[in-house]
Amino acid sequence: MRPFNPQFILDVLPNLLPFLWVTLAVVAGTIFFGSLLGFLLAWAKASGQPRWRSLANAYTYTIRCTPPIVLLFIIFYGLPKFCLEVFAVNINSYDKIFFVIVTFTLLFAASVSEVMRSAYEAIDRGQYEAAVSIGLTPWQAFYHIVMPQATVVALPNFGNSVINLMKEGSLAYTIGLVDLIGQGQLIIAQHYGAFALETYLALAFMYLLLTLGVEQSFLRLEHAFSQHKKAA
Amino acid sequence: MDINYQFLLKTFYLVLAAVPMTLNITVVSLLIATPLAFYLAVVRLRPGKYLRRLISAYVTFVRGTPIVLQILMIYSVLPSFLNSICKGFGWEINVFDWNPILYAYIVFSLNTAALLCEVFRSALGSIDKGQLEASLCAGLTSWQAYRHILIPQALVVALPNICNITVNLIKGTSLAFLMTVKDMTAVAKVAASYGYNYIEAYMDVFVAYVIVCSAVQFFFNFAENHIGKFRLIKQK
Repeated sequence: MRPFNPQFILDVLPNLLPFLWVTLAVVAGTIFFGSLLGFLLAWAKASGQPRWRSLANAYTYTIRCTPPIVLLFIIFYGLPKFCLEVFAVNINSYDKIFFVIVTFTLLFAASVSEVMRSAYEAIDRGQYEAAVSIGLTPWQAFYHIVMPQATVVALPNFGNSVINLMKEGSLAYTIGLVDLIGQGQLIIAQHYGAFALETYLALAFMYLLLTLGVEQSFLRLEHAFSQHKKAA
Repeated sequence: MDINYQFLLKTFYLVLAAVPMTLNITVVSLLIATPLAFYLAVVRLRPGKYLRRLISAYVTFVRGTPIVLQILMIYSVLPSFLNSICKGFGWEINVFDWNPILYAYIVFSLNTAALLCEVFRSALGSIDKGQLEASLCAGLTSWQAYRHILIPQALVVALPNICNITVNLIKGTSLAFLMTVKDMTAVAKVAASYGYNYIEAYMDVFVAYVIVCSAVQFFFNFAENHIGKFRLIKQK
């Protein structure tokens, strides 16, 4: 067995770092689109219409039972075919990051919709009623009164979802996206399989820093957003 | 969209035949991880600085890194490491002939142990400290106190989280194909590669996972109602 070479962990970092932005782009894109879809789902769940509600609940349940990698493969192989035959649009040449973001948007939306729904329900109904009774429109009441309070409630769980997303996002390399792990695999292949452990350790530390960073920033955000509670 | 329904159906039976493999990995990993996690949780609740820090570092590492990375790491190192150990002792064992499911057990047990440890810790922490003190005062040994007083109460608190972890573990086993284990995903992948019927094959896997996960959640709901009975009586 080849001896362990700790120096390589440091040497490999400059080769990995340029691909950090790919991983972060996946996460950022997914958070953006996933939150939009998640918001719609949460809205459907909180709305009184039973049809929309059960549809949103069924969606969340199904996605929760789906391994991310299976959904990733279904989207990667199925979406181009689907778009070609239904919309007559050829998306075969699209960048792989597109399929990755679509997949994780679908996954992230399900978990985030639950976060948003529970946060929305945690806010007392009287807040909304009071706001409407003093003359705010329902949208204003939601936007200015309910949402700021629900955001504080949702933040810790939202942070957890983001961390999960970041970890699941590492699967993107299985369809050939060159992100952090994809580049790591390439580096290992360039060395004919040597330095595998060192490269993976370097990747693990990067992911560890990322997740800890996200955790800390959400703690900070939560703190900043709950300032008004102390003032009251 | 032209879907090969014949293939869809044929592969579905193939995938269903691989369900025992997925359950096998899940159950064995849980059986290894549970006692380990419980021990880790108890140690973390006890005073004693260094061991506690070590465990919390381990938990942070497992929770902070993707499971793919853990799989890749262990699968890239462990076989050759075991091989060199065997050679060092002069044993005539070919490690590379071993069933790769062994490495799946190891990865998923180590991963689940860290997650379960947190669940057990918070569940044990939710039980009032007086319960343990009272049972010790009443003359129970520490083991008896845990067995008869603390664990039954903690289990009810922990069950929903254990259910979550089990479902996540089942979903996680879909990555076992990276270690050449022939689970549902691997079977579908091989079947699909002959005629490039990937969509159909993965649809099958998707449906199979939904069925398996639903069954597990149903089972846990049943268990929760059963074990949590004493709570309901108290509420009445």
